[in-house]
Amino acid sequence: MLLTISDITTGYGPTIVNRGVSLTLATREIVTVLGPNGAGKSTLLRTLAGLVKPRSGSVIFDGADVTGQAPDVMAKRGMVLVPEGRRIFTDMTVEENLRLGAYTRRDGDAIDADVKTMESFFPILAVKRRDKGGSLSGGQQQMLAIARGLMARPRILLLDEPSLGLSPLLVKEIQGIILDIGERFGASVLLVEQNAGLALSVASRGYLMQNGRIATSGPIEELRDMSLMRELYLGGVAG
Amino acid sequence: MDILLQQILNGLSIASVITLIAVGVTLIFGLTGIINFAHGEFLMVGSIVTWLAVANGISFWLAILLAMIVVAVMGFALERGLFRFTLERPTNGFIVSLGLIIVLQHIVIFFWNANQKSIPRPLNTIWEMGGVRIASVRVMVIFITAAVVAMTFVAVTRSRYGRALRASVEDRDTAALMGIPVRRYITGVFVLGSALAGLGGGLLIALFPITPFTGGTMVMKGFAVALMGGLGNLTGAVVAGLILGIVEGLSAGYGFSEWTDAYSFGLMILVLLFRPNGLFGGTSGPKMA
Repeated sequence: MLLTISDITTGYGPTIVNRGVSLTLATREIVTVLGPNGAGKSTLLRTLAGLVKPRSGSVIFDGADVTGQAPDVMAKRGMVLVPEGRRIFTDMTVEENLRLGAYTRRDGDAIDADVKTMESFFPILAVKRRDKGGSLSGGQQQMLAIARGLMARPRILLLDEPSLGLSPLLVKEIQGIILDIGERFGASVLLVEQNAGLALSVASRGYLMQNGRIATSGPIEELRDMSLMRELYLGGVAG
Repeated sequence: MDILLQQILNGLSIASVITLIAVGVTLIFGLTGIINFAHGEFLMVGSIVTWLAVANGISFWLAILLAMIVVAVMGFALERGLFRFTLERPTNGFIVSLGLIIVLQHIVIFFWNANQKSIPRPLNTIWEMGGVRIASVRVMVIFITAAVVAMTFVAVTRSRYGRALRASVEDRDTAALMGIPVRRYITGVFVLGSALAGLGGGLLIALFPITPFTGGTMVMKGFAVALMGGLGNLTGAVVAGLILGIVEGLSAGYGFSEWTDAYSFGLMILVLLFRPNGLFGGTSGPKMA
């Protein structure tokens, strides 16, 4: 397994967020963590990226115990988070944002080539290359955030609510992009979503999180059929 | 016209030293949210190192290099030993810096007394051009500052490290997600800011005699310049330093020279009244999670 999370517990102050979460991810696999708002999905991704230190449990990444390592160390190892709300560097140009994504790399020529690759993969970024990140629309910022994440040549790309605030048309586009990531960039994807429609259409396996615990998990077809899931979750959310 | 040029050069030479402080203050604030009021004492230590070195027969040029190195090492030690522990609460860093003012002043007084200290002018040439008398030492101060500030500016705006620094200023957490070791950048900014203050101290003592209390007035003006330009904004600090130099030069030449400080602080108040974020817009310091 590329990534094995065992029995992770996290919290902020007196509040426990995740309670004994375990999860696995294989090379080039797309796995989703679904669940209602506040279930602890984002905290799980932030823990994997090193922004939150777990209280207990372990994270084994490519055979190495990386539990509780700092975010810059995790990024260097190839675990890259595209954070919720995109968190584009608004005062910096689109190209600067892309190059920042490649901070851990030293292969200058390959970085130049990857900037070009991103600009062909996300054509809007080529158009906006010299524009400030803050001038981009929400959808464009999401494209930039994903491209910036891919610039690190990650082994695992953690996507936190990439569909948040996007029109159905843009969600469709994001869906295509996620499906392409494994093939074009050789990365595994761990996708956290409230938009179950998007998550179920791209992932091969899924985990359903509820109150900080994994309620159930399995192949995506099973999850799709589950009446529990419908009741918990699909009911109120537009796919 | 003749006297005008002379006065502006005089103003700019003092403003150079102030700009070197302002750049350090603004860079450190931008990344950490800490307003380091002891930065003036860093400058004063730079002056003392230069004074000691020159008194021991070392050339002035080597002495200012030594001042930069000594103050940079001091900045490194203080960041690792003190400021590092205040990063979560920048106000504590500010309070630490207030304490440092007293400590640094009194260490210097303890070893080298509180008397005025001066060095022989490193450059004695006075250029006479159509009735204008220009002291080469002042031109030297302006040129060294311009060169160093330009280098800092290019490094921050063009280099990969500068890009990472600006990203860390804008959003520390996300910068860390890019793999940027933000803590190391914080140390780096303290070291750079301290080296600039050390240089400023060396240049200052080439212009005027100093005392262990010189840092106080200099940091007030440095802080005023940083505020005028927009705290955290490097371009702002440089432009505001230039404006301050011209205003001080003109006020000394045509107004009442004893009112020079009133002009500079009056200017700061005016700027802040109409543009509370400074001329170029400041940052509000790091976002605290």
